[in-house]
Amino acid sequence: MAVAAPSHPVGHEGLVMNQTHAEVTRDVVATLGKPSRGYVLLLLGAATVFLIGLLSFLILVKDGLGHAGYQPPIFWSVYITTFVFWVGIGHAGTLISAILFLFRSPWRTAVYRSTEVMTVFAVMTAALFPIIHIGRQWIFYWLLPYPNQRFLWPNFKSPLIWDVFAISTYFTVSATFLVFGLIPDVAAVRDKVSGWRKTAYGLASVGWRGTDNQWRHYSRAYLYLAALATPLVLSVHSVVSWDFAVSIVPGWHGTIFAPYFVAGAIYSGIGMVLTLIIPLRRALGVEHMITPEYHFDNLAKLTLLTGSILFYAYGMEYFVAWYSGNIFEQTTFYRRAFGPYWWAGWTMIICNAFVSQLLWFRKIRTNLTSLFIISIFINIGMWFERFVIIVSSLSNDYIPWAWDQLNPTWADWAILAGSFGWFAMWFLLFAKTFPIVAIQEIKEMIPMPRKRGGHH
Amino acid sequence: MDDETPSTTIDRRHFLTVLGTTAGGALALSGCSTDNVQKLVPYLVQSEDQVPGLATWYASTCTECPSGCGVHARTREGRAVKLEGNPEHPINQGKLCSRGQAALQGLYNPGRIKAPMARSADGTFQEIGWDDAIARLAAGLGKAGGRVAAISGAGRGTFSDLLADWTSALGGRLVRYETFDDEPQRAANREVFGTDQLATYDFGRARYIVSFGADFLDTGGASIENSRGFARSHGFEDKDVAKLVFAAPRMNLTGLNADQWLPTRPGSETALALAMANVLLAERGGEPAGLAGALASYTPAMAERETGVPAGTIERIAREFAAARPSLAVAGGVAGQHSGAVELCAAVNVLNFAAGNLGETVRFGADLPAAGGLAPLAELTRAMGAGEIAVALVHEANPAYTLPNASGFAAAFGKVGLKVSTSLHLDETAALCDLLLPEHHALERWDDLRPRAGVYSLMQPVMEPVFNTLPAGDVLLRTARAAGGALARFDAPTYEAHLRSRWQALATELGAGDFDTFWHEALRLGGAFRDPPASPAIALSVSGGQEARYTPPAFEGEGDFVFIAYPHSMLYDGRGANKPWLLENADPVTKITWHSWVEVGPGAARALDVRNGEILELTSPHGTVEAPVYVYPGLRDDVVAMPLGLGHTQYGEFARGRGVNPLDLLAAPTGEFVHYLSTRVRVRKTGGYRKLASVEGVPRQLGRGIAEAIPLAAAQQGLTVEQAYMEAGRGKHEVNTERELEAVHGWAEEQREATEYGDYRGEDPQWGMAIDLAKCTGCNACVTACYAENNIPTVGEAEVLRGREMTWLRIERYWEGGEEPGDPVSARFVPMLCQHCGNAPCEPVCPVYAAYHTADGLNGQVYNRCVGTRYCANNCPYKVRYFNWYKYNEKAWPEPLHLQLNPDVTVRARGVMEKCTFCVQRIRGAQNHARLEDRPIRDGEFTTACAQACPSDCIVFGNVRDPGSRVAGLQQNPRGYRILEDLNVRPAIAYLAKVLHPVEA
Repeated sequence: MAVAAPSHPVGHEGLVMNQTHAEVTRDVVATLGKPSRGYVLLLLGAATVFLIGLLSFLILVKDGLGHAGYQPPIFWSVYITTFVFWVGIGHAGTLISAILFLFRSPWRTAVYRSTEVMTVFAVMTAALFPIIHIGRQWIFYWLLPYPNQRFLWPNFKSPLIWDVFAISTYFTVSATFLVFGLIPDVAAVRDKVSGWRKTAYGLASVGWRGTDNQWRHYSRAYLYLAALATPLVLSVHSVVSWDFAVSIVPGWHGTIFAPYFVAGAIYSGIGMVLTLIIPLRRALGVEHMITPEYHFDNLAKLTLLTGSILFYAYGMEYFVAWYSGNIFEQTTFYRRAFGPYWWAGWTMIICNAFVSQLLWFRKIRTNLTSLFIISIFINIGMWFERFVIIVSSLSNDYIPWAWDQLNPTWADWAILAGSFGWFAMWFLLFAKTFPIVAIQEIKEMIPMPRKRGGHH
Repeated sequence: MDDETPSTTIDRRHFLTVLGTTAGGALALSGCSTDNVQKLVPYLVQSEDQVPGLATWYASTCTECPSGCGVHARTREGRAVKLEGNPEHPINQGKLCSRGQAALQGLYNPGRIKAPMARSADGTFQEIGWDDAIARLAAGLGKAGGRVAAISGAGRGTFSDLLADWTSALGGRLVRYETFDDEPQRAANREVFGTDQLATYDFGRARYIVSFGADFLDTGGASIENSRGFARSHGFEDKDVAKLVFAAPRMNLTGLNADQWLPTRPGSETALALAMANVLLAERGGEPAGLAGALASYTPAMAERETGVPAGTIERIAREFAAARPSLAVAGGVAGQHSGAVELCAAVNVLNFAAGNLGETVRFGADLPAAGGLAPLAELTRAMGAGEIAVALVHEANPAYTLPNASGFAAAFGKVGLKVSTSLHLDETAALCDLLLPEHHALERWDDLRPRAGVYSLMQPVMEPVFNTLPAGDVLLRTARAAGGALARFDAPTYEAHLRSRWQALATELGAGDFDTFWHEALRLGGAFRDPPASPAIALSVSGGQEARYTPPAFEGEGDFVFIAYPHSMLYDGRGANKPWLLENADPVTKITWHSWVEVGPGAARALDVRNGEILELTSPHGTVEAPVYVYPGLRDDVVAMPLGLGHTQYGEFARGRGVNPLDLLAAPTGEFVHYLSTRVRVRKTGGYRKLASVEGVPRQLGRGIAEAIPLAAAQQGLTVEQAYMEAGRGKHEVNTERELEAVHGWAEEQREATEYGDYRGEDPQWGMAIDLAKCTGCNACVTACYAENNIPTVGEAEVLRGREMTWLRIERYWEGGEEPGDPVSARFVPMLCQHCGNAPCEPVCPVYAAYHTADGLNGQVYNRCVGTRYCANNCPYKVRYFNWYKYNEKAWPEPLHLQLNPDVTVRARGVMEKCTFCVQRIRGAQNHARLEDRPIRDGEFTTACAQACPSDCIVFGNVRDPGSRVAGLQQNPRGYRILEDLNVRPAIAYLAKVLHPVEA
């Protein structure tokens, strides 16, 4: 049988795969073994943090949003910031798994599964926040266009409705893409385990037997799904950006927002990928599959590109504010740098625009320690980017008499932390349940077996 | 079923009838009674004046301050839900201030005493029955043997007369005590004009007004009447605008409305007034020579030395004052009550006399002389302290709080054998008493007031009493019956009967003919109103100008700062301190709510190195208080100022322990009045800090054209604001570039066409508003009216600190100038409410259509549909949308305050957005009414709550599509502009720019 489907990239001069197919399967399936003590502690920690967030949310439902630090005119704050943050995180996953797939970038192979998982769980996390943030959480479904006896439809002019569609589409497509991509791997695991797990993985592998016919259909379908997911990388965060750009708030109302947000999303997503993969490859013992010289170097180059786009966008926002002569814009951007939120504004610029420029150096790109530190800066910087855009713009719009500053409270921080707990919990559970490195695609990287043959 | 078949089942009409009467009856019975009726009892015969769903209005009289304004109480299903001014009343002519409107929260105040009480052996109050209470008072009086005293703050009227007769029949004494009673002015009038009366001022005719500290627009005198007059003369209705000059160390609300502020040294204004009179006489000549001679030494140069105001400025103002006829000088005010206060009032009397204002803008004859001053109370305090009083009755007065501690009132009062209070609240004085006989609220009882000659203002019960209380008049009559003896002649069965007999006599006196007709007409009108007697000829009573004296002020104590205590705009002397509306409705000058503050001038703040919120300790020879700083540009740097009215130790859950009482710093009153400006204080930073619960954001316009103004000359030429800017050579006043405007206007045109083809074209009215900033004084009456009409919850101090107050209508106060030392500061006020934009940015962003546009041009807000995304509030450029962060509706109206709620307006739950609706319930009510009469709505037939309340009538509401309407005319006024017009949101509110006099040194 043809090992490499025509659509799959074969080999790469930078990548040397010295393993056999059997070794790959063995190594990956080994990651699904009995959880270590560290893993259990990590999982419990994540679950605890999530429960604290959940409890805080329940208190909000009981008493009202007043517990959070909203201070009019800042009607959106930490929750929407975190929403945009998590939506953005998702984008790198789709970029790596779908777009790089279409562009035949072989270096994606070892990392794409984890980034895809990150995407799905990040979108799942993000989707919580619009519900958390609204005043009457129990009727969030009024934003959905469902048939009802009152003949009421949502307002399709509202960007928030576009958001509902963007997020739900994104979740559906990325979850389908992930689950679909998992099928051959689940089947591979099925073949290596016994007992009830064999039954469970058997059911999950939906009858995959690896026949030529199945492979032919599979690779076609995978290609089409990748093609379907690709526009979402651009569209979802564009739509999210319109939550802001469609309004007339100075600091939000900019034509640059869609590309600016998409670049930011990918930038933040790769930051999160780095944060996750650097410890993960060691924890799972797959260092030889994901290497600094090849995988991380390429990820870092992508970070440099998107970071530089952000740098340009930041500069352009200031330029346009100045060039427009619009005093509202000018005040907003002046205060962004020198007003009460100067610290957030400079955190954003330093972490995103400046720190990303370090990646011009190959030594930094291939050093995991420096990359990890930079990835943390990116995570912080990108959270603050959304904080700055949302909070500092709202704090000083048209009527000076109404200006005020936010005072975040435990309810803001607990739910923000809870979202990380929720995300980490799912990610950890996934990593122990399914192959976090794509078995079959790694195998495609291995030249056709000559001596030992046999295994497909 | 055949349509003709008679139905045996209940039909729709019948069903609704039963439902309506049943529910209405139940509400009427349960809404206002303490008996807590649980049964649904239908009316057998429908009450004539209770139609469920329709309001019944009763005329009555406001008792919140001595002005005596007429009110209309709106009742629904048997309970009062709103107070408005009585348009027929000669004093307030349909308008009502915040304090007057908040009487409603006095009626339903949770802090009211719910039944008669007596102090038991363990010192606590125990509820007793009324018979028992009356018996105890009668027994006490029987034993007192004439050693009886009554302290009453009741205004002139039947009750005061009865109380006076009653106490004198007992051989006791009646002491009248009203906290702020213009005593210096009265004394000066006695001295200069030989009359005990206070003058009435005609601000409407004055062409030039100089206020020597008098707060005539807010806490001084009949502020509603004054505001009306001031709006007439100082608003830009014809081709001229009167000028107001304000001379005092601190700008109060009147000062903020002045065209020029002369920051005089505290207590030195007398020199200014005399110097002005001097210049004026020299200018005019031919006035009493003796006076000119006496004034000769008061030259502008001398006045400059005393006041710190440049002589040239004094001279110019004096000349302008002399040239304007008639002019008006007003003096006094609580904040100016220092040892030389009588001299100041006398000097201003001389100035008015010299300017020929007597009989023109200063009229006598209408005021009814009152018993004078604090001397009788001081004497009573001495007598009580000496144990000479056996029974003391306190009525509508709280001297234990409103007099400085140093007066020793509380200690002396404690030595009285039987202390009786008729107070509605357990105030500081009532808490010292032995017997509490809580009086009916003014809205629950029969009574009358005679605030001035020719005004016989009636009070009638507008609803059943909320608690087990008894009118004080009935207490007197029942006690008389129980005690007998000297009191036996008080034989009226009830106070109501007594009142009617007095009005019968009045009917005869006024030659009214048939009493029943007279009485019903009086009830309908709110009283009997006759023209005031003609102003008698008034001349200087002393010749030779002896009344023109100036003694440089002396302040006791040491320290760098002179201390000013002034009446709180909302809480007055402290009587409003238990009403959440008045606590949350910001002080119009400082915009601080819920707590005390100390004002420090900007220079002094720099010198002391303090910022807003840092806590200062003030020490005078009499005491120490601590309060957070508010840096106030309208204050001289050698004074500090604090509002009175807070720092209660009793009075109710909202007032108790809130803020501090600056009276603790003051000396005991000497002579006729309390010297609120008498001491120096030492100031020390404590290092503490508390964030000010202020509703003030950034108080500068930052060139955004929010509160526009136009020079007088430009207004007279009929220029628009933009033209006036161009004229002044300041370039086009706009934020957008030419190109942008081209684009925006083109797009706007397209939008306009689009909407006209849509649903909104046609015969529907388009509701709109015009707000004249030349008339707005920033007094906040509209804000309170909005709270009352629209069931707006008060959120409390903690939530105000988080900027979450729900003021659908707020008054923004922007400073102009004053950024450099020596640069004069002035204020501009803008009432800011939902602009009901024709192209509203809040509407398209709502995902569930909770924000939507009605066919008649309103921005609707469907509370039930709102899920609370708050996008609308983000996208509102005016920031006039308010969110229910918590369940404010469950906390804002503790029982029985919830009875005040307007049944026509939804009480909003948590999690939804709310905002000004242009009083849509009033619009729909008027539309229904007009439809029943099969006619279109007439312009002015109804208006919004804010426009109804506005004392200066600066808000006009109506249908802008009706070319004959007042609002349509005003929107075409050249002074008109829309705030943030360049955003193309097409607001329905046109603001009319303030008109400024040219700035001169």
